[in-house]
Amino acid sequence: MMLRASSTANDLELDVDVVRGDLQESDAIHHAPELAALVDASVNDLASLPSARSALVEATDEATMLDAAAVVANFEMMTRIADGTGTRHPASRLESMSELSSSMGLEDFVSARV
Amino acid sequence: MTQTPTSLIESSHESTDLQIRSDLTAAHAQVWEKLAAPGTWWSGSERLAVAEVVRSALSDTDPVPPWDSASKSGRLPNDSVINSELQDAVYRLALHAGTLTEQWYQKMRDATGVTPQQWVEIIEVTIIVTSVLRFAQLAGVDQPEFPEPLEGHPTRQTQPSKPANHHWVPVVHLEDSTPELAPFYDGLPALAPVIRALSSVPSAMHTLFTLGDAQYIPMREMVDLNWTRGTLSRRQIELVAGRLSAHRECFY
Repeated sequence: MMLRASSTANDLELDVDVVRGDLQESDAIHHAPELAALVDASVNDLASLPSARSALVEATDEATMLDAAAVVANFEMMTRIADGTGTRHPASRLESMSELSSSMGLEDFVSARV
Repeated sequence: MTQTPTSLIESSHESTDLQIRSDLTAAHAQVWEKLAAPGTWWSGSERLAVAEVVRSALSDTDPVPPWDSASKSGRLPNDSVINSELQDAVYRLALHAGTLTEQWYQKMRDATGVTPQQWVEIIEVTIIVTSVLRFAQLAGVDQPEFPEPLEGHPTRQTQPSKPANHHWVPVVHLEDSTPELAPFYDGLPALAPVIRALSSVPSAMHTLFTLGDAQYIPMREMVDLNWTRGTLSRRQIELVAGRLSAHRECFY
């Protein structure tokens, strides 16, 4: 996973729960709670999207909020490509990520083509 | 006067005081130009019919569950130029992609009669609409209207795609690269399976690279684990990417 790689490359400890769990501000990822709130609102609670957007702008700036919106749009794209084409990881990669996948419960996904 | 696809995107991105990056506006305009134009295997009208289903699915406030037929629920046009089985497949791809299985894919192909390459192009249309409309929603700007369909025939350009170990759809392997795929394959020692997934339709690869470069990270910068546009750090980018993917229950 690129999140783990980009943290390891900078000698930063990363709790992978940031991907699925509740978030606190951390040195590894600045403004993680506001970023996660934008993502969560866009999927689960559109009514709270304006406030999530405002909170991220307040914590960062407008350009950062727009770039976060673009990344969400991009992964709405990538998830449909992966799941629409049945893309799976090579065996070597699956092995290297198996501990991480188990700890995050990813193997329970219908899309877990292992 | 009918607006051009580019002007539709520009109007959308100018409907706010926010300063949207010009390269992002240009990327969305470029794929909007392709949206209702003849593609490789589908006409402009057929591509637009796919786009209509994607838009309906994304805006559905009471979504049809993955195991039910959206077309039979009355929420999709019954005079569409694509058949109802394909409408159902597109709706599920747009809204419940994480539930798709290889068995579903094979049954869908039997029911709809689409070839793997036609399915790849349907995915291309789906990612155009999803990217553009979801960005507009998140950024709080007006959603652009769809362009008018353009007349003309699909190119029907084939590629030397072969069955793949890491996909349901056939792909063009690096050693079989063609002039159409050279812009995406050349100079790269390897290409992630999810990128190669669309290689049987080079125009879909072009769409993927156009959007990915502007929305996420330029493909050739991917190996730089500290790459940034000066806004989000690489770790912040990957947090957003990972969290969205987890919400969509995408194992890959």
